[in-house]
Amino acid sequence: MWRSSASFILDKHLNNKPISITHSIDSPPPPSASMADENPNPNPNPISAYYETRAAHHGIVTSEWLEQAQAAVRRYPDHDDSVSPVSGRPFSVIEEFNSWRQQPDLAEAVAAIRALAAVIRSSEATTMMELEIELKKASDTLKAWDTTSISLTAGCDLFMRYVTRTSALEFEDFNSAKSRVLGRAEKFGEISCKARRIIAILSQDFIFDGCTILVHGFSRVVFEILKTSAQNKKLFRVLCTEGRPDKTGVLLAKELAKLDIPVKLLIDSAVAYSMDEVDMVFVGADGVVESGGIINMMGTYQIALVAHSMNKPVYVAAESYKFARLYPLDQKDLEPALRPIDFNVPVPPKVEVERSARDYTPPQYLTLLFTDLGVLTPSVVSDELIQLYL
Amino acid sequence: MPDVQSMVAEFVNKLRKRKIEGSQATAKCTVELLRSVISHQRVPHANQAAALIDAVKAVGQQLVAANPVELAVGNVVRRVLHIIREEDLSLTTAAMAGLDLLDASDDDDIDNCKGIGYPAMSAAVVAAAARSTLRPPSLQTLLEGTPESATVPYTSSSGADSESKTADKSSLTRKLKHDVIEGVNQLIQEISGCHEQIAEQAIEHIHQNEVILTLGSSRTVLEFLCAAKEKKRSFRVFVAEGAPRYQGHLLAKELVARGLQTTVITDSAVFAMISRVNMVIIGAHAVMANGGVIGPVGVNMAALAAKKHAVPFVVLAGSHKLCPLYPHNPEVLLNELRSPSELLDFGEFSDCLDFGAGSGSLQVVNPTFDYVPPNLVSLFITDTGGHNPSYMYRLIADYYSADDLVM
Repeated sequence: MWRSSASFILDKHLNNKPISITHSIDSPPPPSASMADENPNPNPNPISAYYETRAAHHGIVTSEWLEQAQAAVRRYPDHDDSVSPVSGRPFSVIEEFNSWRQQPDLAEAVAAIRALAAVIRSSEATTMMELEIELKKASDTLKAWDTTSISLTAGCDLFMRYVTRTSALEFEDFNSAKSRVLGRAEKFGEISCKARRIIAILSQDFIFDGCTILVHGFSRVVFEILKTSAQNKKLFRVLCTEGRPDKTGVLLAKELAKLDIPVKLLIDSAVAYSMDEVDMVFVGADGVVESGGIINMMGTYQIALVAHSMNKPVYVAAESYKFARLYPLDQKDLEPALRPIDFNVPVPPKVEVERSARDYTPPQYLTLLFTDLGVLTPSVVSDELIQLYL
Repeated sequence: MPDVQSMVAEFVNKLRKRKIEGSQATAKCTVELLRSVISHQRVPHANQAAALIDAVKAVGQQLVAANPVELAVGNVVRRVLHIIREEDLSLTTAAMAGLDLLDASDDDDIDNCKGIGYPAMSAAVVAAAARSTLRPPSLQTLLEGTPESATVPYTSSSGADSESKTADKSSLTRKLKHDVIEGVNQLIQEISGCHEQIAEQAIEHIHQNEVILTLGSSRTVLEFLCAAKEKKRSFRVFVAEGAPRYQGHLLAKELVARGLQTTVITDSAVFAMISRVNMVIIGAHAVMANGGVIGPVGVNMAALAAKKHAVPFVVLAGSHKLCPLYPHNPEVLLNELRSPSELLDFGEFSDCLDFGAGSGSLQVVNPTFDYVPPNLVSLFITDTGGHNPSYMYRLIADYYSADDLVM
């Protein structure tokens, strides 16, 4: 019944490989030695670096720790030295990406695009075609390094599309084209912040006085929405799920309490129990797929199912650069993204653990998507993607 | 101008007092009023589209404020604004193409144009940039940022002064207004003709020996059913009377006059009869961007009953009823509470209705509209054809510009 196919034999083989659970937060990203050669994935079933980073963001940290971490990251000279690559080659786009990714406030796609911008800056190409080829190689390296991160893939693809269309035919010379592309890439960080603000403004109408909002996971976009509502003096309360194993709920509750929003913490299993006092569900998304469904932290599908069966609207807040060209047909259709899960007691050796970090919510359980392109129904997503890619 | 002001004031008054009944009549009057506003508006030479847009927006805001529940008013104002923007854009691209031809033939002019500080981009790019301001924001334009050159074509052409170009400019002035008024006339025709267009599709949906259920009275539904009758389909109609106004009675009378076999039932009997019905057809007051329907009170009940018994629920709506807004609290915000005297006779109940009399007072709620969520609707039939509720966003993108959503 839970073995829907014979693939469980294959899964068992992979699970038998012992994977170390120790991930100390202070350790810098994987050493450059393993990045320099062409095998970015030494482990066939790696811990998803994307979710590791998110966990690092969500850890209950102090500001001193944050400074320490950033100082550790700044050891990489690429970050400061923007003009010329250090020691000639190799310029590692992955190191650049990691250095940007460590900042907790920066969206994943922004880090990707900034890394690609650094590639352009340090490139010695003289024609647009050459630049595009270099960018494609860098983008493929990034994507291969972390196959589980959807915003990374989507951000890279978006940037590549943009570069391909800003061809040198429009500009007299290569240098002005290059500087224009560079300028836009650098502006993308602002675009991402602007996107969050637009989404917050669009969703204000849907939050009315006296409503109860259920939130799952710590999405920075959803947090911005709640913050803006509080600033607009709306009266509402928030139920947040604990979000095991990341414990995102505790962090979100702390942040919301600072804003004087009444918050209640639930364990993940208490969602159905509390659903009838909820007026709406707000979730973010790690990625929005072509069908209009979303890929988000594990538990989102469950909540959407419960909300749908009780006729509560499920609203998704996602920036438009998270739209990805994926069409998962079921839960297992995604790249496996695994996280270490700590049960606080040692797990007996013969017992398997479901360690997937994310799930797929089909579009029929979602009511509306709030994006910087406007308020969308799930069916609009494929339209937007077609316009971009075809 | 003062004539237009008084016309606007008079129309605002009529709207506020709810003197105009029906979204088609309201839409037509609004468009005709806007047409007079546009034709009387004096436009400057540069940036005339912006002047027209501002004038129409100003009038539009007054109209919408007068009757916020009648969504057709806002819809047609936005349609007119979209027409203005589209005509402006097509003229711009035509002008740029014209300038391009002149430039190509004359080398000195090319240098002149560039000397003004016009960015060195081809005309195709400028037109593409201008076009992107018309389209709603999309993934394609995400990285492009705001194109600064949307209004540059006019100023640059006024800078490059050759006789032929200034002659072009003054003809452009007249042309924009003329094109916009043509577009508005087309819109009026579309609104007037929506019933015929929808009724043409009746024969595809109503089959022999079927039983149709409808609620209240809608002219679109009447024409739809009669068109099928004329094509020699024989079917029966159940009309739910639509309390408290009982407009179903009027519809039943009309249908019988045209030769259709009709049965009148109470609203409460809808659930009982739904299992014997093949299709539910209703007319909408407005259709929202998510595919939700605002209809006469009682349609939500009929929709739920239809869903329960897997009966197709078909909504007929002319394109002027299509609203680009998303409903966030439609039961309250988009509803209108009518006088309680339609429900209760004041004389009999005067002691209960008197609030000062002491403990316990009788409250009467008489809403006009009902909201039907999109998952209960099977099909929308508009004058462009039959569509899925999830397809509404495409029609909206065709008819409206993103900049006009907030007026």
